[in-house]
Amino acid sequence: MATQLNLSDSDSSDLSDQSVFTRRSNRSLRIAEQERRKKEEEDPFVLALKYFSEVEAGTPATGNDELENNLVRVEKVAFSRGLSPEAISVMLDFAMSLRMGSSPCARVLKCLLPASVVPQEAVVRAIVWLTVRKLPISTQVLFMKWVLTVFDMIDAKDKLRAIYGFIFSFVTDENLCPFICHLLYLLTRKENVRVFRVRKLLEQQSKLGRQPYLLYLLSLYKVFCPELVTLSIPSRMKSGFKNHISPWKSALIAVQKRNDMQVASSISLAFAVRDKTASRKRKHAHLDLPSLNPVTIKEPQAAQSSSRKLVPMQQIQSFAQLLQNMHRIELPAQMGSLLGSSLALQYLDCVQDESALLRLNFWLGYTLHEEFLFCSDGGANKNPEEALQFLNRLLSVQHFLQEGFNSSDAFMYKFLNVWDGSLLRPQILGLLSNIPVIPSSQIKTLLFDPLMQLFFTSSLFFKCGLIECLNHMLLKWLTWHSAYALEDDLDISLNSHTSINITLSGFKDSVMELVHFVGRLASVGLQLEDCHSLLLSFILDFYETVCDTFLKFGLPLVVMPPPGVFYPAFFAADPVSVDRLAFIMHRYKVNLTSAKRQEKVTEGFHISRQTFREFNRYQVFLVNCLWNSNMCYPEADVRLSDELLAKSGVPQFSTRFDLIHHPAFVSYALDFHHKCWPGRKDTDLNSIKQSKPWNWYLEYLFTQGFDGLKDFVQNSINQRVMMAGDGCDNVTQSQKLGSAPHIKQPLLS
Amino acid sequence: PHSGVVKRRSKSQSYRRSIRTCFGVASGLGLTPALTARRMNTSRKAPRSQNITEKVKPEHLELLVKTEWQLSYVTPLYQFRHTQLKSYSRQLSAFIAAEKQEGLAVEVGGLQNTFKVSFSVLQGLAETSDDPETVLIQVQSKPMFARQEDPPKTVWCGWLSCINGNPEYLQSLPKDFTCLPLFCSKGAEDLSSLVKSWLQRTFDCCFGPLDINQTTLQWLAALWTNCHMETNIQNLKMIWTLPVLPPLQVTYTVDSDDVLDLWRSTRESSAEKSREAEDEVCIDFSEVTRFMQGLMSHFYRHFRVDLSAGELNQVSSALGSAKVNGKIKISSSRYLISIFSLLTECALLKMPI
Repeated sequence: MATQLNLSDSDSSDLSDQSVFTRRSNRSLRIAEQERRKKEEEDPFVLALKYFSEVEAGTPATGNDELENNLVRVEKVAFSRGLSPEAISVMLDFAMSLRMGSSPCARVLKCLLPASVVPQEAVVRAIVWLTVRKLPISTQVLFMKWVLTVFDMIDAKDKLRAIYGFIFSFVTDENLCPFICHLLYLLTRKENVRVFRVRKLLEQQSKLGRQPYLLYLLSLYKVFCPELVTLSIPSRMKSGFKNHISPWKSALIAVQKRNDMQVASSISLAFAVRDKTASRKRKHAHLDLPSLNPVTIKEPQAAQSSSRKLVPMQQIQSFAQLLQNMHRIELPAQMGSLLGSSLALQYLDCVQDESALLRLNFWLGYTLHEEFLFCSDGGANKNPEEALQFLNRLLSVQHFLQEGFNSSDAFMYKFLNVWDGSLLRPQILGLLSNIPVIPSSQIKTLLFDPLMQLFFTSSLFFKCGLIECLNHMLLKWLTWHSAYALEDDLDISLNSHTSINITLSGFKDSVMELVHFVGRLASVGLQLEDCHSLLLSFILDFYETVCDTFLKFGLPLVVMPPPGVFYPAFFAADPVSVDRLAFIMHRYKVNLTSAKRQEKVTEGFHISRQTFREFNRYQVFLVNCLWNSNMCYPEADVRLSDELLAKSGVPQFSTRFDLIHHPAFVSYALDFHHKCWPGRKDTDLNSIKQSKPWNWYLEYLFTQGFDGLKDFVQNSINQRVMMAGDGCDNVTQSQKLGSAPHIKQPLLS
Repeated sequence: PHSGVVKRRSKSQSYRRSIRTCFGVASGLGLTPALTARRMNTSRKAPRSQNITEKVKPEHLELLVKTEWQLSYVTPLYQFRHTQLKSYSRQLSAFIAAEKQEGLAVEVGGLQNTFKVSFSVLQGLAETSDDPETVLIQVQSKPMFARQEDPPKTVWCGWLSCINGNPEYLQSLPKDFTCLPLFCSKGAEDLSSLVKSWLQRTFDCCFGPLDINQTTLQWLAALWTNCHMETNIQNLKMIWTLPVLPPLQVTYTVDSDDVLDLWRSTRESSAEKSREAEDEVCIDFSEVTRFMQGLMSHFYRHFRVDLSAGELNQVSSALGSAKVNGKIKISSSRYLISIFSLLTECALLKMPI
């Protein structure tokens, strides 16, 4: 509880706790009363307590066997089970009142091990005794240490707080001062910080010199009232108060363990001293997050009423406290400091103050600009480690908030023009993928031009990274769209009259621009990199997002891949790419079919006819090649004349890309052939085309994990009409949709 | 939304905010700064001799001229009030005292015998109604072994200003922010950084170095030359460094009348078309470029050294001097305003958003 915030809200709970306690203690006292009457004779511990509560003042202590016996009895109980609240109360009162002089005092104090809680009244009474009686200094110190040790176990703190001023008066005592400061540190609330107290402490400081305990207490004062006091804590002094709990520590833990109590957390001070070591190293520490400091200068009119109740963010130590004080948290003096703690980030997510966000953006933009664009002290090249950490933090913050900051977006637009494509690549690409939707009118200059340059001048790995990054960007845009459209129950055909400033058609334009842009990059990239399968894989990832825009994200937009992507993927030598292409085509089909259904229902909903045509063209090509062993290009944009193909000298060139002869599948066909006809010496792959082995072959392929192919075949190809005979020549007319029995449901309209 | 009241923001609002901050319709500043990249003005008014003494107190002017200022840019100050300067003085005094004696707490408003800070308004420098008044900060200290009656000495001085700031930018800021983007300072480096760090913590702003780049130096050379029509600038001196081994530094000094002749001839060709224009004389950057080219080709003809391969590091005349590392000295108050308008523009260009 020591670390918990001293807030007025906790008062009530403290009070109720206390009343429960007093009730409970009343009852237990009553029961104890009855039992005492019965057991008075038999329980030596009760007798001992009775002795200490009733012993007359002035009874000599030395050579007093009765005292010795009773004390031993109490000690025995204390070190085994701990003392009950009443027992603590009695013994503390006995010790501090010096009824038998000061000699048994220290011994009594040392055995005050609470079994459960320490009654607040006992502590308050003891503190009062502190002024009345002349205790030896060592005993006074011992008592203070005891209070600090059991502070967390004191049942309530309201009465202790009520005598704050009284406790404060002990700071002038040189011996007690360190302990009093610690106790005050634990008790201080905003209303306790007063000018006269600050002056007293400063006076003490000038008397005692630079004492850490004074400084720590004053630093807490500074947190509450920065307008009264200011200080800077040297880095060597940052350990916090010394731990004063040693005399009781082990015994207390033993008692608590025996009583099966939750071991009270040792008094740990949540004492945040700015870590200066990092900033010392560098002359301009742009990349250091500012520390959480409260606002120094308050608005004069606000100061009176509202600011009294505000809680500085620095004082919030747990999520529970954050929830409790959500409505009255005071923003820190420097908004950038919120990025430093996860707790503050939770709060940042709820901040609606435009000015606060603007402050944060100024700081963030400044930091990024200084470090990466102005490079006034060498920038990221000079301290890559710090830059890396900073960007990682920024990324995790953006990830947490699920959106970027507009200052970092603005920075990215500039930085892309000077980026070499390798400096901190994963981080920069990460930031890039967080960029929100850009209007289609500006997307080219801001994004495409610099990226195009980078893409064509860098390595294969950069190309893959960029395609992946743009895929993430697209996913985020689409997710935004779907979340927004769903939550506000916005009809997707509605536009321009909503409160947002980007219309649906504007959004569609931007998405379309992005998809076309990636299409261009991918086409040229595949050529440059010789259709590298790694690059192809990232490109297919992208189109897996694109093909599902309508069904997954509710965006009435379907964009087909360009020929430069489709054909390389189809002619790829690895079966995985062909399988994924088949899957993508399958998803396109599902999307287009349901979009078509939607079109009939919803007014104004429209998918370009051109898209259907492109889809059909690819679909027919795919089916003809894989199925009908017929390489024809319906309404082709690319067309090779048969004469030219014949010149290549490849026999039966038109069958080269059916499911059997396609370079990606030929090894499967061979394997299948061996399994199917184990005895055969000469391999004739064409024999698989017989209708029965063909079906088996398909089954065989599907068991090899080609799920995309399976989806495609089951949805696009009419299973019942299988290849009749050779099937090579008699289906040349299959490019006409509908007439080919092999294609289900032509989509062209 | 300015009350700081916290509500759970639904994601739809968040989406809208993202959209809004991107397209900048709702909040003024959002006008997607990146989308509309600010550029340096390509044309500006020729400086006219001003009798600034009518507007600015002579003791203030005395402070401003004939000292070399180190320039920085500052992002807008949050919650800065020109009415609270007294309180700022107390705070900063205490802050400096506390930082100077680490580990010793200092009462704010207590009597500081080492450093005394005063904030004051330097009236008269603001040109337009959007410009906030200039703020002057002075740190005074008594020398260690000074006699009792010795007056405290000013050991550090700095001022925050905005002169002819871009009105669009200034108006786009919410009213909690005060934009004083140009910070000039002189004095010990450690005091500069203490003052900056206090301002940073108190007004949540950021300081960055403001260098006077090539373009600005060229502008200054042209503007000062133009002043020779009214005021004698004696001569125009430029220092170039050339990237050769060993590094070559060229000091190029041109007599004021000659340089004005060159300037006039560059102006004439373009002046015709704008001759009919009103009495406000405007200078275009293309003229500045041509003027510099003229100077460089003259140099090449004589010494066979092409200055355009090097870097202009310093420009000076009788009116003042400016260095590429952000140090400027103004020797005559007559053209103060136009020089600082130019510098304010440079500082605003550095704003991250």
